Amino acid sequence: MSIWNYVVSAHKPTNVTHSCVGNFTNPQELNLIIAVRHRIFFLLQRNDTNSVSFNGILRHPSLLQGLNKNKYKAMGDVSDCIGRPTDNGQIGIIDPDCRLIGLHLYDGLFKVIPFDNKGQLKQAFNIRLEELQVLDIKFLHGCSKPTIVVLYQDNKDARHVKTYEVALKEKDFVVGPWSQNNLDDGADLLIPVPPPLCGVLIIGEETIVYCNANAFKAIPIRPSITKAYGRVDADGSRYLLGDNAGLLHLLVITHEKEKVAGLKIELLGETSIASTISYLDNAFVYIGSSYGDSQLIKLNLQPDAKGSFVEVLERYVNLGPINDFCVVDLERQGQGHVVTCSGANKDGSLCIVRNGIGINEQASVELQGINGMWSLRSSTDDPFDTFLVVSFTSGTRISAMNLKDVLEETEIEGFNSQVQTLFCHDAVSNQLVQVTSSSVRLVSSTSRELRHEWNAPSGYSVNVATANATQVLLATGVGHLVYLEIGDGKLTQVKHAQLEYDISCLDINPIGENSNYSQLAAVGMWTDISVRIFLLPDLNLITKEQLGGDIIPRSVLLCSFEGISYLMCALGDGHLLNFQLNLSNGELTDRKKVSLGTQPITLHTFSTKNTTYVFAASDRPTVIYSSNKKLLYGNVILKEVIHMCPFNPAAFPDSFAIAKEGELTIGSIDDTQKLHIRSIPLGEQARCICHQEQSWTFAICSVKNQSSTDESEMHFIRLLDDQTFEFISTYRLDTFEYGCSILSCSFSDDLNVYYCVGTAYVLPEENEPTRGRILVFVVEDGKLQLIAQKETMGAVYSLNAFNGKLLAAINQKIELYKWTLREDGTRELQFECGHRGHILALYVKTRGDFIVVGDLMKSISLLIYEHEEGAIEELARDHNANWMSAVEILDDDIYLGAENNFNLLTVRKNSEGATDEERGRLEVVGEYHLGEFVNRFCHGSLVMRLPDSDVGQIPTIIFGTVNGVIGVIASLPNEQYAFLEKLQSNLRKVIKGVGGLSHEQWRSFNNEKKTAEAKNFLDGDLIESFLDLSRGKMEDISKAMGVSVEELSKRVEELTRLH
Amino acid sequence: MWKEIRDREAGKIRPKSFSSRIKFNRISNLQLTNYKDIVSSHRGSINSLQVDLTEGRYLLSGASDASAAIYDIQRATNYEGNGLIAKHKSIVSVDKQHEKGHKYAISSAIWYPVDTGLFITGSYDHNIKVWDTNTTKVVMNFKMPGKVYRTAMSTLATSHMLIAAGTEDVQVRLCDIASGAFAHTLSGHRDGVMTVEWSTSSEWVLITGGCDGAIRFWDIRRAGCFLVLDQSQSQLGRRPPVLDHSAANKVSVSKPLSTGQSSLVKSRAPQKKYTNGHGIKQSTIGRMPAKGSARQRLHPGMLSIQDRATAHYGAVTGLKVTEDGMYLLSAGSDSRIKLWDLESGYNTLVNFEKARLQTSKAIQLAISQDSAHVFVPCMTVVKFTGSGTIHRRQ
Repeated sequence: MSIWNYVVSAHKPTNVTHSCVGNFTNPQELNLIIAVRHRIFFLLQRNDTNSVSFNGILRHPSLLQGLNKNKYKAMGDVSDCIGRPTDNGQIGIIDPDCRLIGLHLYDGLFKVIPFDNKGQLKQAFNIRLEELQVLDIKFLHGCSKPTIVVLYQDNKDARHVKTYEVALKEKDFVVGPWSQNNLDDGADLLIPVPPPLCGVLIIGEETIVYCNANAFKAIPIRPSITKAYGRVDADGSRYLLGDNAGLLHLLVITHEKEKVAGLKIELLGETSIASTISYLDNAFVYIGSSYGDSQLIKLNLQPDAKGSFVEVLERYVNLGPINDFCVVDLERQGQGHVVTCSGANKDGSLCIVRNGIGINEQASVELQGINGMWSLRSSTDDPFDTFLVVSFTSGTRISAMNLKDVLEETEIEGFNSQVQTLFCHDAVSNQLVQVTSSSVRLVSSTSRELRHEWNAPSGYSVNVATANATQVLLATGVGHLVYLEIGDGKLTQVKHAQLEYDISCLDINPIGENSNYSQLAAVGMWTDISVRIFLLPDLNLITKEQLGGDIIPRSVLLCSFEGISYLMCALGDGHLLNFQLNLSNGELTDRKKVSLGTQPITLHTFSTKNTTYVFAASDRPTVIYSSNKKLLYGNVILKEVIHMCPFNPAAFPDSFAIAKEGELTIGSIDDTQKLHIRSIPLGEQARCICHQEQSWTFAICSVKNQSSTDESEMHFIRLLDDQTFEFISTYRLDTFEYGCSILSCSFSDDLNVYYCVGTAYVLPEENEPTRGRILVFVVEDGKLQLIAQKETMGAVYSLNAFNGKLLAAINQKIELYKWTLREDGTRELQFECGHRGHILALYVKTRGDFIVVGDLMKSISLLIYEHEEGAIEELARDHNANWMSAVEILDDDIYLGAENNFNLLTVRKNSEGATDEERGRLEVVGEYHLGEFVNRFCHGSLVMRLPDSDVGQIPTIIFGTVNGVIGVIASLPNEQYAFLEKLQSNLRKVIKGVGGLSHEQWRSFNNEKKTAEAKNFLDGDLIESFLDLSRGKMEDISKAMGVSVEELSKRVEELTRLH
Repeated sequence: MWKEIRDREAGKIRPKSFSSRIKFNRISNLQLTNYKDIVSSHRGSINSLQVDLTEGRYLLSGASDASAAIYDIQRATNYEGNGLIAKHKSIVSVDKQHEKGHKYAISSAIWYPVDTGLFITGSYDHNIKVWDTNTTKVVMNFKMPGKVYRTAMSTLATSHMLIAAGTEDVQVRLCDIASGAFAHTLSGHRDGVMTVEWSTSSEWVLITGGCDGAIRFWDIRRAGCFLVLDQSQSQLGRRPPVLDHSAANKVSVSKPLSTGQSSLVKSRAPQKKYTNGHGIKQSTIGRMPAKGSARQRLHPGMLSIQDRATAHYGAVTGLKVTEDGMYLLSAGSDSRIKLWDLESGYNTLVNFEKARLQTSKAIQLAISQDSAHVFVPCMTVVKFTGSGTIHRRQ
């Protein structure tokens, strides 16, 4: 790999932190807005999502809660140069009467941004706040002057509530109308109650208090930590509360006008652990979660059998937090799948993330030499297909669904089954049409008898043909193009044209208004390598497009996606050209060329669920579809496909017949999407995972919470089958023993493959674990057998296989263990050598004799194992104080790290340094602000590695983050990097972030000590957004770059294939 | 620790609070390391220590034997005890033997804030010297009127290169490295100035502590000091009624004084123009007439009664502003440490453990990054106290 890296997120964050409901897009439409870290999504009530991606970090997500009163305001940067960022998180609030925005960003300061009468923001100022440990701030409703209520903790850890009026003119606080001292120790959340009550609810761990100037009502609750609330009624008399165990409660304030009579709380049921709750309407509630899947639930009036009022209607998969993941190739196809440990607590799950489109096989038969397939209906009005026509060089076989829904061979008497079929299609008036090399046969689909036949002129044979319900277009040798129309029982030759060259492919797929009749015919030509468009029925040439190069078009297709018509043209070398087609004048624009494989492609169109797709059958089958008026290419998880046709029998609707080498498969196709996530709920949190190829198993370390409030946890090592993901064996760890790391490895002089597990004894009185174990398991008969164990002097944070030995990171030390045979034939781990000098060696990766350590706070260091001396020594280190969260070795000299402030960095070993001093330093070569907390890096790729595509040569690393992002870091050659860097800087000028936040600033490496412009990293998300730009903007960029739009699109599209 | 790492991984605690919790715990459990040893080349007490601000790599020390030395604290010069104990010997050292070296004790040694190419020493021999680190040559020498107690440079400064110097003399002098001359003098203290400290929020604000027990705040663009801390003013947290408020504003650090406010003091009205005129004409600032000092001691708008206020009984020996720029810590020869709220200028009355402090020399205080701990040298030990009562975490 290289120092020039390209970072792109393959799976966007899914960890929902905030949400709110309002009428944004239209007064009549109810919108739900959710915030996922620094992105905001607008969800309309009909499920179409419209995402607005934020260029900068959204610093104050809770602003949203006030937004439904106000029109949306994009925020700029309000960071101050002084002040200490708050520990308890930044708070942003809007006055209910829209007089000002309040921000608590730094300890002891309250920033006020007033609105003027026109709703514009005025100059912001800071007010000193004496309360330093602020837990929550909210605006009170119904106050003549903007009034805040502050929940804070004092020096003695007692919690109080205070109110302040904001005096805008004086730019200061005035002591507010009331305060309340000594609340519940766990009070953590304030809920301002709207008029007429105008008080505040203080949610504690054991009590809930309603408070205002002249009322104080409290009720005890079952101990729980409330994480989120949602208001049900506009007058604020009912609230939904979600706690950290995922229980949903309803809190009711009983009141008579302004007088509060009391509080009532009722358990409704269980949901995902909520981080935000939005009451939509009519008992529908959106539960946004950071630890599990977000949900749309309905609150029923009557409880179900289990006493729950909650009915989960929909789940939105959330990968975050990705604690760990591994890249495996379960289907041995050369394409990586990512298996993540996602979620936390009871919402923990394993998610299998894979790229491409899956086929669910329903039936398959061995059949050699298929060269064509078509499905036919038994009558024109039948919505389902009955016949499947399979053509071979020596004949044609016809199968039909019988009454028992079994496909059995049959015959259509009118068809010529002795010769190869060139094309088949349903025709109007219950007819079928078959084209063979000598004739076109029109057959009744009911009586199955030949009704009419058109014979090719003698001396000529039909080479290629195509048809739709009313038309047939065929080409015979030396450039003869014949156009026939289908009548009731009659084929009429309407037109004949003589072209100068032979015809290689044809298409008359109707894409106009009439779904039975095409106005246009697309024709691909030999010799001059062109594609031509003819107007039917007169066969007038209206467009001729030279394809360039010397590869002939093998398949053309007229199709339309999302109202846009395209002409696709597949070449013999696996390239696909697509054009936008103007239906009225046949003009071709917006030419794009992509490489889909290496073998000739045949194109087929099909549609399921009212969406049109194009299937490109080749050595790398691809489904082409359109999203946001952009063509997307999804590779199908199948090897070589020769032919396919949609086959929609009543028994298996929306299926496909797929002809592979020697096999015919009938199956259905997954939803077309880039990444496919299959989630397997565990009911407990998996912390680390690894795969063992030899035993076809996964092993995970997991934690199960006994009950919601109890702190006690149980820790397990579990073995899972890698196909079914079922627990097949479990090893329970000791009390207080935590599983920290897991590895599948083998040792020198031993053929077995083992699972090694590193643990720590986490005792409540110890600040840092001082004892741990390394456990060595072998999988025998699907069971975990403990073979050996070794006590360690601390937590085993990381395990690596290293030169046939085991390298463990234990607290501040790196220790190497060898696997020795005892006299009695048993094996044990024996300490060989170690290295100290770290604060906590949390993350370790190895390559050859090199060891790269990511320290808790001392950045990256490089160690080497000296074979002769049997010792580990430090070679070099980065002296910056980076708090690492993951490391990876890119190549012999370059190492990648992620740190605590959401940055990425690369360092380089300086082996050519002149002095010891220079060689002893890792030079920082790349810096980038990712904005995501990376938990793990792993070498691997989400896409199929193709031997001779450009993309296949680019080495990639996958990373997983707390917010559920799966990202890809690709090392580019210098030339490509330089090109894309130029493109990025041009895109920055064109694509403006909401609120005018600068992209450059956002991507700058930034920690407590310094801010430095990003270097040697490119923002792939920005670069790939080039493809979403309007043509005009693309042209601006193309002009600035001096490169054609097509070339730019091609290069960017190539990059999108990385993930 | 392990639980915190796990919670960070699962997104249950923010990475920032993770690091601040661990920093807090580590600082609370500070112990002498057995694995790192800085071999002092000094033969006298060490008066001043500073790690450079650019790389965080070089430690500069100044000692009472008139020597100053630099140590590389990242890379050891050699190892002992099977490579376990890293020894750091000085890589640069200057002492009396140096032809231009100081004659008497070095009271203050500081790095040039921009890079490690220069360092500045102040000595009891009445000199402040600016050294070139690479050649160990004196590149500039400022002759002071008395013993130099403390020197300071602003880490924020982008538009000036001034060394503020506290000496036996009542005036604080600003030495300009750019020109090699005194830029100006700040008069107000009634006794020698033990300690000087630049604000961490404004490059123009200087804080000085004198043997007269006063802590004075100066805006170096304007004449006179604008705030004197008063130990008896301790009503922090009480929001003043709105009327009083405009008066209280006058002593706020963050707000430059507007001309309108000074008109409250009628007798000062004629001088208003004069002082403001100086403030605008920056170029003439270096040539401030000495005789003007008596009249300019009082800042326009400051009541003379405030000018008499003291922060400590006895001399102020150490000052340190917290990193967030919101508090000031002061140590005095009355063996007290006080914490001041910088915006209001109030004494916060935080009760620090009592410790006997050195009175004859300026002392150097250090504050942990999160402002939760302060390190105070108390005779033979370094005590560290939580200034904890201001920021405490679980």
